[in-house]
Amino acid sequence: MTGYLAIEIKRMLRGPRFIVFAFVVPVVMYLLECMLYKKQTIPHSHGITYSAWLMCSLAAYSAFTSSMHTTARVSHERQIGWHRQLRLTPLLPRTYLLTKVFVAMVVALPGPAFVALFGWLVQDVHLSASGWLQITLGIWIAALPCAVLGLVIGLYVAPEQQQMYLQGLIILFGFLGGLLLPTTGFPDWLVNIIKVMPSYWLADIGHGALLHDTRALVGAAVLAAWTLVLSGAVVLSYRREAARA
Amino acid sequence: MTTTPKTRTERDEGGTTVTAPSPTQPQTETPSTDAASKTGRGKKRAGAKRRTGAKTPAAVQAPADEQKPAAVQAPTGEQKPDAVQEPKPVKGPRHAAPEPALRITGLRKDYGDVKAVRGVDLTIAPGEVVALLGPNGAGKSTTVDMILGLAKPTAGSITVFGKVPYVAVREGLASAVLQEGSLIDDLSVRETLGMISSLYKDPLPMDEVLRRANIEDIVDRRGTKLSGGQRQRARFACALVGNPQLLILDEPTSAMDVGSRRKFWESMRKFTDTGRTVVFATHYLDEAEEFADRVVLMRSGQIAADGTVAEIRALTAGRLLRAAVPGATADELKKLPGVTAASIRLGQAELHCDDSDAAVRALVTRYADAHDIEISATGLEEAFLTLTSDDDASQDDTRNTEDEAA
Repeated sequence: MTGYLAIEIKRMLRGPRFIVFAFVVPVVMYLLECMLYKKQTIPHSHGITYSAWLMCSLAAYSAFTSSMHTTARVSHERQIGWHRQLRLTPLLPRTYLLTKVFVAMVVALPGPAFVALFGWLVQDVHLSASGWLQITLGIWIAALPCAVLGLVIGLYVAPEQQQMYLQGLIILFGFLGGLLLPTTGFPDWLVNIIKVMPSYWLADIGHGALLHDTRALVGAAVLAAWTLVLSGAVVLSYRREAARA
Repeated sequence: MTTTPKTRTERDEGGTTVTAPSPTQPQTETPSTDAASKTGRGKKRAGAKRRTGAKTPAAVQAPADEQKPAAVQAPTGEQKPDAVQEPKPVKGPRHAAPEPALRITGLRKDYGDVKAVRGVDLTIAPGEVVALLGPNGAGKSTTVDMILGLAKPTAGSITVFGKVPYVAVREGLASAVLQEGSLIDDLSVRETLGMISSLYKDPLPMDEVLRRANIEDIVDRRGTKLSGGQRQRARFACALVGNPQLLILDEPTSAMDVGSRRKFWESMRKFTDTGRTVVFATHYLDEAEEFADRVVLMRSGQIAADGTVAEIRALTAGRLLRAAVPGATADELKKLPGVTAASIRLGQAELHCDDSDAAVRALVTRYADAHDIEISATGLEEAFLTLTSDDDASQDDTRNTEDEAA
């Protein structure tokens, strides 16, 4: 188990493209969006600035994209027959799957912290200690369903198509789900719809750091439900593969 | 490092004569081998077999019976393989004291409407080196998958050293080099092996793996930098890490050039010399001839023939007589003296003969306008082709033979 985990992490660190997309892109987008909104505050928000709000959103976005990074690897490994190769070893399927989720989580950790760092240093955002914890560790934990979702796509979608799925998800989650744009200007009916998405709640965990409200419980419940459903899909896929082979 | 492999190879060369398998072989092989080797190969056997063939499929020599007529015309396999194979599982296991390396009983696999494997019974004793031959779609790969627990049988059972396949695999008893299945590109061979090694309770030491698989030269390369042949040897190394007793190879050399193939089989010899069991599916008949003690021929999801290389070759050890015989039917030609089977393909008569001299005399006497006569010896390839061919012509033949036998 540890041997397998070690090699997975080693592989992850070898992908420079991954580092760019997981760490650099969210930060750059954050800084760009801040320029767009200048130093404005969000209407009816009791003085919350866009730069603070976006910091939370993009921290969540970073966690989301980096945790989805397993997708490409899993579907590639499936296609080249690495899964079959592994099934000829004592490695248990569930160890493989858990390791993939674990690795996804490991690489999702630095992203939010990175964005937060820039928010603090460059955009001069101030939060309480618990606020900082919430947008780093809190978001990180909340990214769990995304990590599992990445695995699901990797297991179900062929490598040629998964880029399309990922783009679709980024649009869906990123723009509608509140990761890339503030949903503050959205009409109520739309907000109600997007409340189903895990990304909304992922971002909400971050925004909670600014709002000091206690919706985190609802968010945790929604995210946990997503994790469960997606895990079910993972198990189903692996069973299917085992039966069909 | 270079010297060690060398000396090994030399030693292997001596041992190449398949030393390991022979002691154990008789146990399971008894049914078929007995029939074949004791009767002597070739003509006599052919006769004997044909007599028993159709009528008493349960006879001990059933497999052999099956083979002869089948050799002449593949199709016999069509209806009878079930009957034919039966003696094996019943007999072999009961008399064999140690647990067979592999025991397959009544194995079937359907993919929807496609019946990939249609009733396979097979017992392989520890130490045997068995070649699994058959055309594409014969069910070899599906069978291999099931032996390794990668696919679930629709019916039937498989044990590997008495254990359920996936348990045997997990415990390192069985391993495989499969047809598809690749290495991770961004890891070096050493890293991959190290990772796999960490999964086993009691793996072979890395040096040992490298030496046995003959891959010291490529161990630090990444997957992307490997040629097809090197990749395959690396995968062979992966299969050795768990120190398996049974190794399954599914067309292991199909991506290799001549040099790689030689290197690969060199290391395979080292492996079989230690008394391990190997089952390999291949398209290269010369590989089967050179490395296998026993050949199992599959066709349409069933076993069409099962015996030593010599036996299988002997199935068609007669001669093959080809001629253009205007106006003759396969039926008539079949009745010529010395002919065991006949078919007409593309206007040419193909007569399998156990006495080609008698056959050719009779042929030219009875069919004065027979021409383009050609008599050739048959080898494993011929046996393979006849035993595995699926066309109508040979199907007709079967019926003929059966009629006659009856």
